[in-house]
Formats: sequence, structure tokens, C-alpha cells
Amino acid sequence: MTSTDTGQRRRGSDARPVITELIDEMTILAIAEEAWVSLVGEDEVLVPIPSELPGDILSSWVDVVGPWTGSVVLTTGRATAEELSRALLRESAPELLDDEDVADAFGEIANVVGGSIKAALPGPSGLSLPQVGNAPLVRNAGDLCRVDVVWRGEPLTISVQGALPPLPVPTPSRENEVPL
Amino acid sequence: MRALVIDDSRAMRRIVTGILTNLGYEVRDAGHGGEGLDVLNEGWVPDLATIDWNMPVMDGLQFVSAVRSNPAWRRMTMMMVTSESEHTQIVRALAAGAHEYMIKPFTADAFRDKLALLGLLPQEVAL
Repeated sequence: MTSTDTGQRRRGSDARPVITELIDEMTILAIAEEAWVSLVGEDEVLVPIPSELPGDILSSWVDVVGPWTGSVVLTTGRATAEELSRALLRESAPELLDDEDVADAFGEIANVVGGSIKAALPGPSGLSLPQVGNAPLVRNAGDLCRVDVVWRGEPLTISVQGALPPLPVPTPSRENEVPL
Repeated sequence: MRALVIDDSRAMRRIVTGILTNLGYEVRDAGHGGEGLDVLNEGWVPDLATIDWNMPVMDGLQFVSAVRSNPAWRRMTMMMVTSESEHTQIVRALAAGAHEYMIKPFTADAFRDKLALLGLLPQEVAL
């Protein structure tokens, strides 16, 4: 007797980890702090306090593709992204930063933080070029690890979010059930 | 001493250029591997090239392979400066011909230490 695979059953190979099984908030914070000290400045601190983002926000992110697939997303107010870019460039910052300068510097911070987070995840994985704009949507609230920090008094979030929707919940087969 | 800084991020190019200039290097930069090869083809062959991995047009690994295939550029030291920190990637870069590997993020001191390890600190700085 042959059976047809309807695709409804969950296979062993379908099992995929969610980010909270692979990394925690403390590790993400430690990675971000290290990046901040190296890129932004030795005295720059990230304070882990939840705080509301302003209305005008900007995100930068890199995608990780591998055993876990998703994005590492930094989001902050546009003015804070500009201040971050200026801090990153220090004395080589132009007097007037244009959008391209901000996108480039803010994107590089996402690249460095994302690269370090990728290294903490199971591999091998690929890392995309950084992107800047509106953050990718959270596809699965269960595959999300987010850290809220404050830098120079301004809120910033670091979100490690899966790119795939949740797997369907397996339902018990009624195929062999005998009606009473 | 001369250095060629190859990175698609202008911010990172400025940072690395700043470190190298402070150490006394004469620096040129390029936004990807192809632009880096253009500089070499002009006859401006540096003592050191710092190379990002993930770049559009021509990535760092392709640049390293291209340099290694030309004997005229053999004396140039190539250091990957990248956020790719997986062991397998480091091995790939070294196997392709890179001499050293620097993982982002890094500090200016760590950068200087790597150059010292490679014997590439200008003499007046090394003293």
C-alpha cells in the first residue's frame, strides 16, 4: 500500500532552532558593547534599559543564512543614527553628514555586530551586505531575541529575528481512528 | 611604507586609513576588490593591503586569489580585516593566500600589534 505525502506532517528535517535556543540577551549585549568600545569609542557605554523609540526611526541590518536564518537589526532614532555615524568617523567625519554617510556608517555597525552574532551561532552561515532603511518584519515572535539599550541617553534596540514564519503545529492523525 | 585599504564601507576605510596614516603609512583606498586591482595595475604596489571580505563587485577572497596569481605582486602582504570570524572562513582566506586575519571589531592598538607581528610597523614607530 502506498501513502501520499500531503506535506502536512512535520518531518525531522523540518525541525529548526529558534534564536532563543541559540543565544541570549546577555550575549547580544556583550557583543554590542564590544563593538561600541571598538568602533564608537572606549568610553561609550550601552545601558540596558527599555526605552521608547522616537517616531522617526532608522534601522540597519545584516542577514544571516545558515542553520538559523534571520536578521540582526539595529534600530534607533534618525538623529541618533547620525550621532552614531559621527562618533564612528571621529575626526574624519565631514562637517555635514549626508544620508549616504549615515547609511554607510550605521550599516557598518550592523555589519560588525551581526558578524559577531553570526560567529556565536551554529555554522557555517553566510552574512549579507548591510542594509539600511525600514527593518524587515518580525515573521515569528517566538524566533526573536531583542535587547533594548540606551546610548548617550537615546534608545536603541538590537533585534536578532528569524526570517521564517513559525512551523505549522503538528495535529494528531485521525487516519487510524475507529468510529465508536 | 604604503598601504592599500579595501573596504566597501567608507566609514571603515576612513577608520583604517586613520590608523595607518598615524603610523606613518602612505595610504590609498578602494571600495571593492576590482578597484583594488585597478590601483595595483597602475603600478602602485603597496607593502600592505587590508581587505574586507564581503564586498559587492569583487569580494576580498577573489581579490586575494587574483593577487596571488600575479608574481609581480608577490611581495605585498595581505591582511583580511573583516567581520567574518568563522574558523572555516579564516582557513579559506589563509589558504587563498592571505597572510593575516583581523576580526572586526578591533582597536587601534590591536591593529598596531598585528602589524608588529607582520614586521610592518614603520621603523620610527617600532622603536
